[in-house]
Amino acid sequence: MQAGKSSSDLEQEVFSQDLCTSCGACVNICPYIKVVKDKVAVIEPCGLTEGKCYDFCPRTLTDIAALDKSVFGKTRTDYSLGPYISIEMAQAKDSEIRCRAQYGGVVSALMKYALETGEISNAVLTRPFDVALMPSSVLVEESNQMAECAGSNYVSSATLAKMNEAAKQGKDSLGLVGIPCQVIALRKMQSSKHETGARGVKLVIGLFCTWALSYKGFSEFLKGKVDLTKVKRIDIPPPPANVMVVETAAGDVKFSLDEVRKFIKPTCGVCYDMTSEFADISVGMVEGIEDWNTLIVRTPAGKKFIDKAKKADVLNTRPLEQARLEHLKQASSIKKKRAIDAIQKRTNDKKNLLYLRLNAQEKRKYV
Amino acid sequence: MVTLELDQPGKIVLMMGDEAIARGAIEAGVDFCASYPGTPATEITESLARVADRFNIYVEWSTNEIVAFEAATAASLAGLRALVAMKQNGINVCADFLMTVNLAGTNGGLVLVAADDPSAISSSNEQDSRSYARYADLPLLEPADFQEAKDMTKWAFEVSEKLGLPCIMRSVTRLSHSRGNVKLGELPEKKRTAKFEGIYISGAFAAAQHAALHQKLEQAREEFESSPFNFYVGPKKARFVIVTSGSGWLYSREAVAALGLENKVVILKIGTTWPLPEKFIVEHLKNVTEILIVEEVDPFLEQNLKILLAEQAKTLGPIEVYGAKSGHRPAYGEMNQDKVAQALASIKGLKTRARDGKYVEKAKELLLSYIPIRMPTFCTGCPHRASLWAIKSALKLDGRDGFVTGDIGCYSLGAGPAGYFQLKTIHCMGGGIGLANGFGKLDKFGFNQPVIAVCGDSTFYHAAIPALINARVNNSNVLMVVLDNGGTAMTGFQPHPGSGCDALGRPAPTVEIENICKAIGVEVRVRDPFEISQAVQELYDMLQESGPRVMVFRRRCFRIEAKEKLQKKYYVDQSKCIGDDCGCARFCSRVFNCPGIIWDQEAQRAKIDEVVCTGCGVCATLCPRGAIMVRGVAS
Repeated sequence: MQAGKSSSDLEQEVFSQDLCTSCGACVNICPYIKVVKDKVAVIEPCGLTEGKCYDFCPRTLTDIAALDKSVFGKTRTDYSLGPYISIEMAQAKDSEIRCRAQYGGVVSALMKYALETGEISNAVLTRPFDVALMPSSVLVEESNQMAECAGSNYVSSATLAKMNEAAKQGKDSLGLVGIPCQVIALRKMQSSKHETGARGVKLVIGLFCTWALSYKGFSEFLKGKVDLTKVKRIDIPPPPANVMVVETAAGDVKFSLDEVRKFIKPTCGVCYDMTSEFADISVGMVEGIEDWNTLIVRTPAGKKFIDKAKKADVLNTRPLEQARLEHLKQASSIKKKRAIDAIQKRTNDKKNLLYLRLNAQEKRKYV
Repeated sequence: MVTLELDQPGKIVLMMGDEAIARGAIEAGVDFCASYPGTPATEITESLARVADRFNIYVEWSTNEIVAFEAATAASLAGLRALVAMKQNGINVCADFLMTVNLAGTNGGLVLVAADDPSAISSSNEQDSRSYARYADLPLLEPADFQEAKDMTKWAFEVSEKLGLPCIMRSVTRLSHSRGNVKLGELPEKKRTAKFEGIYISGAFAAAQHAALHQKLEQAREEFESSPFNFYVGPKKARFVIVTSGSGWLYSREAVAALGLENKVVILKIGTTWPLPEKFIVEHLKNVTEILIVEEVDPFLEQNLKILLAEQAKTLGPIEVYGAKSGHRPAYGEMNQDKVAQALASIKGLKTRARDGKYVEKAKELLLSYIPIRMPTFCTGCPHRASLWAIKSALKLDGRDGFVTGDIGCYSLGAGPAGYFQLKTIHCMGGGIGLANGFGKLDKFGFNQPVIAVCGDSTFYHAAIPALINARVNNSNVLMVVLDNGGTAMTGFQPHPGSGCDALGRPAPTVEIENICKAIGVEVRVRDPFEISQAVQELYDMLQESGPRVMVFRRRCFRIEAKEKLQKKYYVDQSKCIGDDCGCARFCSRVFNCPGIIWDQEAQRAKIDEVVCTGCGVCATLCPRGAIMVRGVAS
């Protein structure tokens, strides 16, 4: 990691370049950096020359090989999906969970199991539709508090800010569900030299993510079309539909995805990670199958937990067909390639990959 | 018994200049006083309010100066004696009424006290209000000491009644706010009853009225020729004369004495500076070859005197005039004895015994080795600190380079470090929201910065409402933040229409800010700035909206709150504060910068200064370690 970089550098290199992912890693560790909705800002330069905020950020120097080593103990051999132990399809056995969930309900089922068995004492989750479409990160102690946290929103909340707050309150043995940028930041925190509550996170479930929308643009866009307080679910059906479906109490509303794409956060364009490569377990959709998830087990801790959950009959599983796996790998590779192109366009320099440090093999594949 | 009430004619008492003015009004049998608070005039009305019941005076704090002046004029029209007092800026607010009441005339004695603040010690501008007298063709008196402050006020009512015009009296900070001996006069027996008769209309015959006004002014000049407030001290046949008025009188006497010129220099002291007592002046300038004019701020006396000298050139012959124009006196800032002495010495070729030129620098150097540099700041527990931190945070989070237009009140300090340099404009009362109106309509020229207009509660009632209505009807993109601390705090917490009490402290109806906003039709929210994270979020949300919006940050001035209620006592748990290891870089004592938080050099930890902490608790919500704790309730 780079030494001697401060909140002012973070402001210059990340915030002012529209690269902030709103992950919240830098929030609630000092009095200077604050988040409202999905906007993070340095309210006042703290004057220190070196800051945790800079080191934790998923858009400051991120050495993929070094992170591989610290999370998995070895570097990757799969340059599409990152390190993993197994991939399969899964769904929550509990149909009630599946009913509320976006797809197969795997994340809800696993977090519920983790809380109930004491695997973790608290979970940092996201309530997808809190106030007028804005999701909020919440700290959940009892599994019965989880109901409102099912489902997806295409706006992200500052999950790690909530994690930092929980750590300040002395919570450890935390579970966390996050999107790739949040997982990367969490791992950077855990592997940093600094004191951080992130070490108390014991179980990380990463979500697949292609992009997130900026709250301001997206909510203003939707405002005239639907009652923001009545949104129940937002979904993007698989191609070639090219639509976004917003389900409300008053019925569904469809938009062309092209209209929505305008509000994709600029930082998502430089994101190298679709499948939350540094999570213990990654979960996403299976294209074309509504009530199942793709489940990637990555770390030994993740495997141990999934094995227990399977034994406890929490999940239904079935193999992921080779064609689907290839399709997933391709999608992930395309995201990486696009990210590299976007970065090179930003830097106007083939060799300057901004925050990304790739190993030689990856470079050969994508650069 | 307060000194003001003493019924002991001839007794000499120590009085503040403003109190002396109030006593003069009492001795004149004043019936009615309406004012808006403003330094250095505030204590005149406060003094009268204290004895209002004893002398059967009606006293009110009006919503603004023009309303006060109009209300006081009504009393005059009904045959009563009325006084209205204000700082220099207030005269500007009154100007529209002033320029018609001069033509329409008055009945009972009406005295307008204009208290100027040279050097703008507690003001947003420096202004010499005397020019208003010349502009409006009204008589002007300038008291030069505390005795005159009392006696001239009494006389001003008589002048007003004789002429049927308001009489303007000009005070300055050093007179209004310092104390000196005053020999008391008799307390009158008041017998006036109010009855309105006659017609007071300006406009229809304005030109004829203007001509009549000029005649009244000539009548005033005649009156002034024999005024005891114009006099002459020094040798009989001096060639060098200091002509002075107001505070210049005492400075001149001191300077003449300091230079040992008592036998060579004459001081001609003028108390009635508009219109000038021309005969009196010409009489005393015969055989004079040099004049030094000593007055405070504008060359008002100087210019009028020069006109007189030109007119009398045949009688008086050539006279050298020293003053502001010649560079012997600055036409800005407060006067003092040194400035007069330096002027005298340079004219006379003497060495002054005034302090040497580097005195101030040397004194600073010496003092700063003992005293840390301290910028002006908000009191401990001041809600404005929290409000401005919330505004700063919301604007920073918004990220569109938003800014704040400021207004007049304690929160004007928000232009400096106390308010994190947030205020980018400050003009007159109501000027902030007025400016914001315009900024909020620049979108078609590519302007996309959000604008926040801050405004105090008293200022809201005083001058902000027309601008807010304007914002509403023109749909201007402006977020107004009313910093409502429950009173006119900067001048000493006088009541305003939202306070629920009158100038005498009796219960009064309230006019709610949010009801006014609702009636105007603008969105209004009311929040407590001490709940800072909520305040930031809501302000951020409001910044995302367009059109006119109002956020009322309501929290009572803590200096008042702390006196009224027991407050929580806070301390830093020094085992939780980890000092420089925290990474907060001493946020509480360095950046948030409340004077109640200090740095404990020995422990290398933050510490609460319990002597000044008022227990607002805002710092406790901001400390990243949660190290600032409540101990209980202070007694």
